[in-house]
Amino acid sequence: MIRSAALVKLTLLGAAFIGTSVLSVSAFADDQETIDYREHIMKTMGEQVAAMNQMRQGKIAPDNLAVHAEILAVTAATAKNAFTPKVVGGEAKADVWANWQDFSKRLDELVAATTDLAKTAKQGGLTAASPKLQGALPCKGCHETYREEKK
Amino acid sequence: MRGVRVLREIRAAAIGATAVMLLPAAVHADDNKNKDIIDYRQHIMKTLNEQSAALGQILSTTVPGENTSAHLQTIALAASLALKAFEPKVPGGEAKPEVWANWPDFSKRMTAFAQKTAEMAKISKERGNDAALQNVVDALSCKACHDVYRAEKK
Repeated sequence: MIRSAALVKLTLLGAAFIGTSVLSVSAFADDQETIDYREHIMKTMGEQVAAMNQMRQGKIAPDNLAVHAEILAVTAATAKNAFTPKVVGGEAKADVWANWQDFSKRLDELVAATTDLAKTAKQGGLTAASPKLQGALPCKGCHETYREEKK
Repeated sequence: MRGVRVLREIRAAAIGATAVMLLPAAVHADDNKNKDIIDYRQHIMKTLNEQSAALGQILSTTVPGENTSAHLQTIALAASLALKAFEPKVPGGEAKPEVWANWPDFSKRMTAFAQKTAEMAKISKERGNDAALQNVVDALSCKACHDVYRAEKK
């Protein structure tokens, strides 16, 4: 009887251990997916701003500036959903979630600024959009506070 | 007379030297221009890569799908830019010379890609994501093109 009780305990312990292991592996996998996902969004914005800056600097003809600005605006609007799960890691500092109200407000400002840029680029082309591209996008201010860049 | 001839020789030598000095500068300017062209098309291809990867995560249900339609829109928009970005014949980056050697085929593939992704984005807006994603495998057949025209740098 004692031996069988001990076996039952061991089995339960083993099952609990396996359960915990699976749980933590699953949580870890989900966290990495969350980080990867928001990085896809942030990298998209980086690529689009870089393409528009090439146009602003006269390196590439600005024919498609408005399309780039639209991609940027649509992508900016997806960022808040991506950062909503509180998963520290990647290049995001813990301050993102510690100061969520401020971070969230800045993302709203980014959406407003990029929507305005897209509208300006569509209506006025490079000449009208250039000053906004240079000074009105709040990327740097937010990155200085909330991003830990990995080189 | 001798003085004039010497002056002419000096002037000719100076012009020759200036031309030689300007030549590398011109070559350098061309190199910069080519790098700009390569960088630009890579911004577009990387955007497509990031957005397709994000969409792939949604399809594999590892992240929520609230942004599905937005990803479909950005993929379609970026796809609409890609062909033009490859028009300047500048091999380099990850593009194989075959892009330009087989331009009619490459161009046809890029045009089909832009059309199919635009259709998917349109359906997503009009009839929802489930309807749009029915053709996702056909629309995002990136690999078939990459196998022929891309030399991936790891």
